[in-house]
Amino acid sequence: MVSRPHSALILVGHGSTLNPDSSTPTFEQADRIRERKIFAEIQCTFWKEEPSLREVLRMIEAPEVYIVPNFISEGYFTERIIPRELELTGPVTQHANKTIKYCKPVGSDTRMADLLLQRASEAAPRVPPSKTALMIVSHGTDLNENSAVAAKKQVSLIRRRNIYGQVLAAYMEEEPRIEDWPRLTSQPYVIVVPFFIADGLHSYQDIPVLLGIETESAAAPGGGAPPTRHVPSSQREVFRRNPYRVAARELYYTCSIGTSPLVADIILDSVDRFDQKHRAKTIK
Amino acid sequence: MIAETLERLLTEGEVVIGEIVAIRTPGGSFEVRHRSESSDPARTLDIRIFTRPAAARDLARYDRLGRYRSLKGAPNLPTGWRLRLGSVEEVLRALDAFYPGALATWIAFQQGNLAPVNLRDTLQRQSGMYRVTQKITNAQADELVGKCCRSDGGCLRTILWRLDPQTPISSLPLSKFDPRVDQLGQTKKCVPYLCVEACNLLVANARRVVKQASS
Repeated sequence: MVSRPHSALILVGHGSTLNPDSSTPTFEQADRIRERKIFAEIQCTFWKEEPSLREVLRMIEAPEVYIVPNFISEGYFTERIIPRELELTGPVTQHANKTIKYCKPVGSDTRMADLLLQRASEAAPRVPPSKTALMIVSHGTDLNENSAVAAKKQVSLIRRRNIYGQVLAAYMEEEPRIEDWPRLTSQPYVIVVPFFIADGLHSYQDIPVLLGIETESAAAPGGGAPPTRHVPSSQREVFRRNPYRVAARELYYTCSIGTSPLVADIILDSVDRFDQKHRAKTIK
Repeated sequence: MIAETLERLLTEGEVVIGEIVAIRTPGGSFEVRHRSESSDPARTLDIRIFTRPAAARDLARYDRLGRYRSLKGAPNLPTGWRLRLGSVEEVLRALDAFYPGALATWIAFQQGNLAPVNLRDTLQRQSGMYRVTQKITNAQADELVGKCCRSDGGCLRTILWRLDPQTPISSLPLSKFDPRVDQLGQTKKCVPYLCVEACNLLVANARRVVKQASS
């Protein structure tokens, strides 16, 4: 990517008042992009943490600001909350002495399929892909978020490449459900990749229980209380005990896709695509 | 402008924000530490030293008991560490990790470019699960702010907003609204950590109050 010495980048994450790890992937992607010295300034902002969407623009001095939502799906947050809190009027907003450019969320990028495939092959490098089911798991129905739509889009893209014997999406809160994976998959090997930005309760606890690779008591020490302290290494262990032999299959489970270092490239792609699209409009 | 202002402040002396102090060392580099701790090098043997501004993020994330600090203004930063940094830009990144936007907001305030948003306006634009917060009464909101935002155990920000244009907050001392006051109750000259409008934690607590009152 070309240098943008007069531009700032703001990454928007959801954040959490309960999960200390929620904002970490967004900060780490910002660190990776900062090292490349492309933008004059980089800041992160969050819906549930500080700096809030209401205060982050004050921290920026560059005249041009790209906003990239580090969100999996387009929906309630990207279409309503973020524009409202940042007082955006469209893809381009003039805000005092700044031009603000609102880019697409990372999860809608077609290159997410590359990341999902890479994460899968890293987790299970020796399984024969033709005998493997790749299952992309996400939340499903949740506050108008189109997380199911985003997962289906990636499944469709990956299927076209004819790498894995089976590619499917499954959800926590809608059909097809994650807990039905033994019936949904037809291959002896199964790789499960959580389609989330950050690791947290869902990837540490909820999904492993639904997959049958953790029991509820083991996954949620302390009676299911949220992890308000340092996440014990035992919780991350769920990603390191591959393969799991369960339901007469060999199952591999990975951490959330948003923790991949390659998301930094997708964020930069989102900025490039914004410019291409809006420059093209101007030329017309 | 922000980094230049910080450089000037560091040249003039120590920069205090909330529980943090930043200084320029005699060698020309910079040190950031908890202000309750001495800068005496002889007393730093059991202190963890960090040299990257990103370390401030982790230091600001947990209190001394390892509990997650979901509110950056909470007066419970851990002690026992030093940040040794090489540039003003790194100091600014560290300060922004502890108190996001504190200096930028203070500069905007001094330039007259800050427009505080009263609680009613903040609640009025809420949607989804937080729309119900619009039902909170001024009396309930006043009590809630008194509990959540107080400087001794709540948040070190200096509040600039009111409940509505006619209704100031009465549950907190006047010092809570004065940018000249050190919210730790000492007499240090500070960069205030300004609160321009209610945070999402307060909005979430307002929802809880409304839900409890209606159940």
